[in-house]
Amino acid sequence: MTTADPIPDLTAASAPPGAGLLVLLAAMTTEQLESVVANLTAYFPAEGLIIATQEALLADSYPALRIVAAPETKASWTLTGADFVNAYQLAEKFEARGILMLGPESASLGSSALRELAGAVFAVSTDLAVPHYELPPYAGLVNSAILYPLTRALFASRVRFPLAIDLGISLRMAKLLAGAAQRFSKLNQSEAPLWPVNEATVAGYTIGQCDVGPRVQPTGLDLNTILPLVTGALFSDIEAKAAFWQRFRPLPPEDTQRTKPQMPSADVPAEIAPMLQAFRLAYTNLQEIWSLVLPPQSLLGLKRLNATDAAEFRMPDNLWARIVFDFLIAYRLRTINRGHLLGALIPLYLAWAASHINITASGTSPEGHIEAVAAAFENDKTYLVARWRWPDRFNP
Amino acid sequence: MQIILATMFQTDPSQSLPPLDAGNASIWHHMSDALHQSIYRVLSLLISILPGMLAFVVALAIFTVIGMALSALLRHALTAARFDDRLARGRSSGEWAPSTSPTALIARASFWGCILLGLMIGVSAFDASYATAATLPISFLPYLTHGVSAIFLLIAGTLVARYLARTVLIGAVNAQLQYARFLSLGVKWMVVVLTWAMVLDHLQIGGKVVDLAFGILFGGIVLTLALAVGLGSRDLVSRSLESHTERTGEHNAPPPAAPTTGPGDSIQHF
Repeated sequence: MTTADPIPDLTAASAPPGAGLLVLLAAMTTEQLESVVANLTAYFPAEGLIIATQEALLADSYPALRIVAAPETKASWTLTGADFVNAYQLAEKFEARGILMLGPESASLGSSALRELAGAVFAVSTDLAVPHYELPPYAGLVNSAILYPLTRALFASRVRFPLAIDLGISLRMAKLLAGAAQRFSKLNQSEAPLWPVNEATVAGYTIGQCDVGPRVQPTGLDLNTILPLVTGALFSDIEAKAAFWQRFRPLPPEDTQRTKPQMPSADVPAEIAPMLQAFRLAYTNLQEIWSLVLPPQSLLGLKRLNATDAAEFRMPDNLWARIVFDFLIAYRLRTINRGHLLGALIPLYLAWAASHINITASGTSPEGHIEAVAAAFENDKTYLVARWRWPDRFNP
Repeated sequence: MQIILATMFQTDPSQSLPPLDAGNASIWHHMSDALHQSIYRVLSLLISILPGMLAFVVALAIFTVIGMALSALLRHALTAARFDDRLARGRSSGEWAPSTSPTALIARASFWGCILLGLMIGVSAFDASYATAATLPISFLPYLTHGVSAIFLLIAGTLVARYLARTVLIGAVNAQLQYARFLSLGVKWMVVVLTWAMVLDHLQIGGKVVDLAFGILFGGIVLTLALAVGLGSRDLVSRSLESHTERTGEHNAPPPAAPTTGPGDSIQHF
């Protein structure tokens, strides 16, 4: 079984496909829909496109396009299991050769981005095309703090946005993801996020990463709701794939030919006082819960952090890696109720975010710090594996 | 005093009575008889209970042994049949924690099921013994069963109190309420007071005093919490109302490019 990486260079995408690209669109306004269709038709021949949308798109406006109705899903901000099941069923029904799934606010993606993603689907030996967004500074912090480092350390994948909301997938990848999603729907969790990168890595499918430029992220997301949801879904997926990631797999070398988009540094550092206040309030109130999950060394690190001034506030990368690993272990062992556990992680994440802002404000590039955090996760993987196998031996 | 003690422990009062007058001898005789009858009644009662107690202990011991054997048998059989692996194939999150694997859970459940069955049969045997002897007070056995259910009620109440206290504490901390711990403690004590009131009511202890005390305590806690939350959340509520008004005012305006999603104004967590 081979792993997905190294990531092939998809910037020089292959020629546009002749026919059979199914584009599954998330719910969006008519203006956004028209913008996406315009971007798609700017590059792809209209007769080769099958557009599946939940909105009522006037077929008269686009006589050359094949517009089909997509089943409604409850998802509002990310792709869920139900989306993958729908994608596969529609692709089979209309005999599509590849699938392009576009999430909410995908109208902000340029036509070149859509070309890259869709081109990758038809490229040889690429099953999953994942976008690499160019986000503003201090955006996508949950991804940078937890999702990317964990995926990289455990699944040896360099995909920068493992929970991307736009994807290009091959037909066999769609089948794989639909199968995984159906397991969730049996448990009545069809709206839970799925982890395509992890699925592809375990199945030995190839993954491509495309630079798609800037993108507007979905709005109205509440940290207290979304962080436990996303982290819980990832922890569950890691738990399910324990047999895979416990074996050592070297991280594939970075593609030197590909120029990675750098997250620009902020001109004005973000205000970290509310985040520090949240962390300090939690430190005085959640000690009892943290002490059930974290070893004394980590608690001592948090104590030191709590006593640090805002200007000097820096969370060591290895401390953050240990915290996430210990929460993952506690999630697996059900040390406390899982909802409580993930709720108790929020203030710690805010502390990391405050620390990240301080570090980048002092001159370190945001991307450089995120890579350092990911490296700390990789270095500490042995701790996770040891505690996973013998949890009592390391009981805090 | 020596004479009294000697009399109490004499089996035949006529043998060692002091040469007192006839009236005293009669009193001592009656007292001795009464004491003997009391001791006889106590011993009879104990003897009548003993078979029931013995039946209870034997039933419990037998079912404990059966439970241990059944548990070990199930554990071996399920391990041999790779039950955990087969079950994990049908689940999205495949691996179970070693202490909570399905095999371990089934083995434990069977053991404790046997113990519970033993307890029930033991109590039934005790009941049967009591019915034939008919020497125990009529309310003792029902009171015993009420006592057991009261213990279960207390355990459940304590668990619920702890769960709710943690839920409130974490929720309040994440909502950045300064009085998070106070709120959590208030909820915890509300549930604890409710549980104790239910337990005492179940045991029929205290009667209306418990109802009254519970009403006063519960009402007091609710009032305290309401005042604390109401006074402490003024800023939170006014901020929420302000933001709602702003959102309503900007209903037709285009959405911002970089929305805020948590603490920190220029930060996007997702």
